[in-house]
Formats: sequence, C-alpha cells, structure tokens
Amino acid sequence: MSYLINEEAEDLLRDVREFCEKEVKEQIKEYDVSGEWPKEIYDKAKEMQLHMMDVPEEYGGLGLDHMTQAALTEQMAWADAGFAVTLNGNGLALKPVLIAGNEEQKKKCCQLIVDGGFGAFALTEPDAGCDASNGKTTAVREGDEYVLNGRKCFITNASVADFFVVTAMTDKTKGTRGMSAFLVYKGTPGLSVGNHENKMGVRTSTTSDLVLDDVHIPAENLLGAEGTGFKTAMQTLDLARTWCAVIGVGVAQRCIDEAVAYSKQRVQFGAPICNNQAIQFKIADMEIRTEASRQLIAYSISLADKGLPFSKESAAAKCFAGDSVMQTSIDAVQILGGYGYSREYPVEKLMRDEKIFQIFEGTNEIQRIVVGRSVIGKF
Amino acid sequence: MNILVCVKQVPDDFVKVHLNSEGLPATEGIEKVVNAFDTYAVEMAVRLCEAHDGKVVVLTLGEEEAVRPSMVQMIAVGAKQAYIYKPSALGDETSTASGLAEAIKKCEAAEGITFDLIMCGKESTDEISSQVGAMLSEKMGLGFVSSVVGVEPVEDGLKVQQETEEGFAYYQVACPAVVTVTKPEYDPRYPTLKSKMAARKAVIPCDTVDVEAAAVICESYAEPAKREAGVKIQEKEAAEAVAKAMAILAEDKVL
Repeated sequence: MSYLINEEAEDLLRDVREFCEKEVKEQIKEYDVSGEWPKEIYDKAKEMQLHMMDVPEEYGGLGLDHMTQAALTEQMAWADAGFAVTLNGNGLALKPVLIAGNEEQKKKCCQLIVDGGFGAFALTEPDAGCDASNGKTTAVREGDEYVLNGRKCFITNASVADFFVVTAMTDKTKGTRGMSAFLVYKGTPGLSVGNHENKMGVRTSTTSDLVLDDVHIPAENLLGAEGTGFKTAMQTLDLARTWCAVIGVGVAQRCIDEAVAYSKQRVQFGAPICNNQAIQFKIADMEIRTEASRQLIAYSISLADKGLPFSKESAAAKCFAGDSVMQTSIDAVQILGGYGYSREYPVEKLMRDEKIFQIFEGTNEIQRIVVGRSVIGKF
Repeated sequence: MNILVCVKQVPDDFVKVHLNSEGLPATEGIEKVVNAFDTYAVEMAVRLCEAHDGKVVVLTLGEEEAVRPSMVQMIAVGAKQAYIYKPSALGDETSTASGLAEAIKKCEAAEGITFDLIMCGKESTDEISSQVGAMLSEKMGLGFVSSVVGVEPVEDGLKVQQETEEGFAYYQVACPAVVTVTKPEYDPRYPTLKSKMAARKAVIPCDTVDVEAAAVICESYAEPAKREAGVKIQEKEAAEAVAKAMAILAEDKVL
C-alpha cells in the first residue's frame, strides 16, 4: 500500500520497516518454533506505539487514516504475520467500543491501550463460528448487573488482554436481535482464559478460549443498547476483514521477495532459475494476485473512509486476498523446491501463516455468501 | 544539564559504496541516515537529560533540504531543538571542526544558554577519521575524552567512562567538555509514531558558518583489491581432503 500514502506516512513507514527488519524478522523465528508469545518484542513495538494505531486522536491516539494504517500493517505482516495479527487485535477489540460505546467506555478502553494494554474481541464460540448468531453465551440482567455465562473460543490476545468485548444472548427468542455486546475487564471474578491453541501458523499471536462462569459486570458495561450486539459485531468485522486481507498481503509480499531473491541466486543447468520462463510466470502470477488484492483493499478502505457502505467490498477483498496469498505462498515454496519445504528457509513458515487468511474473520466461503447475497439482492 | 550533540548525515552504512567513473564514492541513490555513532551520542544525551533534567540540542552542517530529515529524526528520538548550518565551503576535518565551533557559538546565542557538554560520535561511518571531536575541543579550548560509553554528572563536572582496548578508563572533566561517543551497552531508541509526526512539524532554524580552509586534501580513492579465489580441495575421502589441506598449510608455512 506504500504507493498510496502521503509523505508523512512514508516517513512513518520507513521507521516501521527499520524496526521490523531489525527487531522482528529474525527474532521471531525461535518463537515460531516454540509457540511462546514474544512479550519482549511486543513491548518494543508498544514503545513505538504500533499497538495503538486505531486509537482516535481525541482519545490520545495518532489520528492515522486507514490507508496509512494499512501500509504500516502490511509492513508489520511482512516481518511476521502473527506480530501483525496481535497488534491489529487491539483495533479489532476497540472497534465495537468506538461503534457502540458511550464516551466513558471509549475513553477507558482507549486509555488502556494507550497505556500499553491489549484488548480482545470475543465473538466466536464452539458452536458459533461462521454462524455467529448461534452463540450460547448468555447475559442475564440482575438489578444493576449482568451475569454472563458461556465459553468463547479462538480469541486472539485473550491471555494478554486488559479488556474484552464479549457478545452474549440477552434474549434467545429474538435471534440475532437478542444478542448484546459487553465490556468485561481483566480480573473480573469468574472470567478466565481456557485452552491455548497450538496453531499451525501465526504462532506468535496468542489464541485461547475465554471462559465466563457467573461473571457479574455492572449494567453500564453494556455496549450500546440491548439487542444491538450482532449488528455491532458485523460492523466490526466489515473493517476487520479488510485488515485481515492487508496482513495476508504483507505475508504475500514477503513470499515474493524471498522467492525472487532465491531464484536469482539458485543456479541449475548453468543459469539462475529466474531465467526460466516457468519461474518467471509463477513470479508474475504471484505479483499480479498480490497487487490485485491491494487494489481491492484500497477500494474497500476508500469507501470506509468516505463513510459509504463497504461490507461487500471488504468481504471481496478478504476473500480474494485470502485465496491469492495462500496460492502465492504455495508458489514460493515450489520455487524454492526442497529448500522451500525445509525449515531452514522462511517460506514454509509463510505458507503455514497464510492458511489462516482463508479461515478467520469469517471463512472465505462466508465471504462469498456476503458478496453473493449483496449482488443478487440488487436484482 | 544542557547537551549539544553534533550530528552528521552519511550514506547508509549497510550499503557497500563503490567508486564512480570519476573515481569518487558513488553515493547517489543511497539512503542518507544519521551516522550510527552520532545516534549513540544522542541516545546517551537524551538519557542523561531524562535522569538529570536539561535539554538536548542537535546541530549539523549541511544543506537544509538534504539534512532536514536527519534532524527531524533526532527530534523524534528526544532532541528538543535542532539547528542546521550551511558551511561556507567543503574542506577537511579542520574545516569541519572550525565550522562546528562557530555553529556551537551561534547555537548557544540562539538558545541563550551555555552547553555543559558537547558530544560527537567517535567517528563517522563514511570518512572514519575520528579527528573532528578532538579538533573541536582544541578549537573551543575544552577538555576532551574519546570513545565514551557513559557519562555521569558529579559535583565538579562529569565522570566519564571511556572504552579502551583492555577494558574501561574513568575520567573526571570540568564542564563544559567535549566527548566522542562509541557504542554503549544499549541501543538508540526508535521514534514513536506520535513523536515522528510531531517532529515533522518542528521549526528547524538554518544559518551559515564560515569554515577554515582545508589543510589536508584527499588526492584519490581506491577500492580494496578483490580477494583472489581460494583453493578448492576436491578429494572425496575425508582423510585425503584433510591430508591435502595440511599439505597446503605446511607449504604456505602456516603450520
């Protein structure tokens, strides 16, 4: 996205690129193997304020436009997908607060992030993945409190978050209109982090279950009105899907860079393999897919910045980018051949990382439903 | 404690520089960065001021348009003010030191203070002469310590830790003093996104300074001779390969 940003953003991008190359790209390797959450790397990233790109200026944030955020996020993902997913998780948690929260809630959550904290968005449940409306977590009003019970799963940053946006059914008879969103803060009795996922990729992001066992929270922690939680969640995901595509594209760009570098130095039959048309075509397709993904992302972002509807465009960007970047990572492994399959080289990790972009924030099958219904609905 | 750091912008030292057709270093197109040793000096100065109050001011010699990004970067990592001085001519280390001495006087007048400490990088990564800091102290008539990795204010001045071949040496110098800084045990901080955005808006005053004529003139540059190809030991059996290697080492009188 770097060619779509202004001079100030280019300056920021230069700093972020230097940080990612010196402090993330190589250091992350051991954590990918161990699955340990690299706290010290995130602490350094927080010092640089990479964790608070979504905090609005009026709440102590940076006031970055979406295109600048996309360029910086792509660069972070170039260094490590899990790194970008983790830091982007703060935006995912903050978005529903900014959409539906009152002034006090916005101030509190933004301040937690500005002070170096993390947030987590807890929507998914064991029986409510793509079908988010099928959530079993409940919130029952008892006087001035709500009592939450249930289990959330695949929650990014759950084990490190200072606040959670939790969706729960306040009235099961109303379907999606019976879902509400709540703010739950770390340390609330009954709130605990459950199973930690041992994932195939993005292993430097932490993903866990979140258990709510008779969690009493003040009624004022309700985000927006009762029954608006599903709508808030869907609006949150509209933007989150675009960021998901951005991160995937960052990894795809790394795939291209690694594959090109290798193809120039790998000599077979007396010449670098990049001289072979078979390799050139593969690299061309990688570039075409990645650039096309960027254009879909840019279009989605431009609509969002103008306050226009962008659900279809966001779903299209996420879906196209998700499939494209997966194929690009497979191509990168193929170009590196046996070395591509070896952990000695970085592309096998990139391939493991890329798979998730066809799955999370709504599978690509769900994205096609969103796009399909949007198009058919026009007629 | 008020500290002035003299900063030089250099070609990115991660990029290998070759000579152009005129026999001069071909630095066009290479990103310009702040000399690494100067970034250590700025970080040390900022830490000192964070611990003991005061402010860090940076200055550089150069064309405003060319060097402003480096000054912005230094403000983003903690300098409170930056100044740019265009030298009257290009010269050698004597010229640079004389220009810096005049620039520091102008800077003190503009700030309305006398600096307690003047810091330079131990050397610049492009010219690597290691002379400017020492010459500057001479021109200003101030005490000087080179290769400094730590500074601590004491009652009568500064306690300075110098890195030596064998370990460390500790000196006490009166303020104001000039020190050149080498790599301390910590790294320079990165600018935050917010500090970088604010630094871009900073007003950086520009002025000119006269410099002394060069006493030393570089006549020409030459690239290091290319390494000759090594000897390949192609014996397939390990014992034979080792025997061959030992024979070569003996022949060359390495053993």
